[in-house]
Amino acid sequence: MNMKTEGTPEPDIARDATYYRAPEALRERVNAQLKDMARAERGPAMGRWMALAASFVAVSFVSWNAALMTASSRDGQIENQVLAAHVRSLMVPGHFVDVESTDQHTVKPWFAGKIDFAPPVRDLAADGYPLTGGRLDYIDGRRVAALTYKIRLHPVNVFVWPDAAAADSAPKMETVKGHSIAHWTRDGMRYWAVTDAGPQEISRFAELMAAG
Amino acid sequence: MSRHSDFSRSVMPHLDAAYNLARWLTRNDHDAEDVVQDAMIRAYRFFDSLREADARPWLLTIVRNTSYSWLQKNRPSDVVPIDDTSTLSADVVTIGHASPMETNPEVILLQSANRKLVNQALDDIPVGYREVLVMRELEDLSYKEIASIAGIPIGTVMSRLSRGRDLLRAALEQRMRKAS
Repeated sequence: MNMKTEGTPEPDIARDATYYRAPEALRERVNAQLKDMARAERGPAMGRWMALAASFVAVSFVSWNAALMTASSRDGQIENQVLAAHVRSLMVPGHFVDVESTDQHTVKPWFAGKIDFAPPVRDLAADGYPLTGGRLDYIDGRRVAALTYKIRLHPVNVFVWPDAAAADSAPKMETVKGHSIAHWTRDGMRYWAVTDAGPQEISRFAELMAAG
Repeated sequence: MSRHSDFSRSVMPHLDAAYNLARWLTRNDHDAEDVVQDAMIRAYRFFDSLREADARPWLLTIVRNTSYSWLQKNRPSDVVPIDDTSTLSADVVTIGHASPMETNPEVILLQSANRKLVNQALDDIPVGYREVLVMRELEDLSYKEIASIAGIPIGTVMSRLSRGRDLLRAALEQRMRKAS
């Protein structure tokens, strides 16, 4: 420490403060966790490509309209990403939510500064679909908000991101590999909800969410 | 090359930097480990968003966000907003008055090599100043990198560094007075 003329000690942080190094146990835990995640990724990734290939084949058979084909296959691609993200969120323990709250006024501000849009967070507890929290995810090449709800005991992921060009559309329902998926567009936001609850349940949930 | 091996090669070498920042932000070994583990999972998820050659600032941005989320949830009182506009450093006053000429031999003895006191003093100052000092002095990051990681303008980085040093000096004096 140097002494300033007025007697104030001048701490030298670089010399005197501790540089904390990662404990070996932490390094091992992180490596193990990464290995698990890499393994989990390889499984769904195969399925994703197969499903994507299948959706291309199906679409090219039924569609006469090239523009429609592009839109549908893009939806198919998103659908597979949404499903994979949902499965992954439940696979890694403790990573379904990053902000855990049933309060929309806690969940919504949590996203501020993490993404460049404010996801509309709706409270559907009175309708039997409590909000459980939120986290960030990655769909269609961008950061998206993932809002988490419950339909009875079934976790629901609602992925939300802005798409200014998209016109409002009513919820469309699909069932993929035992999962129910609903997607709709409202006020320039795209919504994809996915759960392993039944199609009727997701349908009612989606109608309530989209009713805004 | 798999995603996993790419990640191990480009991100894992910065685990010490990740831990050091998390440890200084949470001020606790156990919490820092939790935060880093969580941050590494996020980093792996968002690995595709890494564009730069140097993964360190990118990883530290994630570690910082994770640390702040953790603090907001577990110790919200730690996260005090900083008023960068005020010219008078009011925070200095709350931490302790700069003492007049210190001639006490015990104090001078303590000053010789007291890492413990410097560590404690750095822990004493608000997290917004602590983080820029740690990133600058211990991580040797540029002003530009710190600005990007903390999401503040470069001018603010410089003013926080300067005020952070004042605060640290005041906190250190107070620690020394207590110790003597």
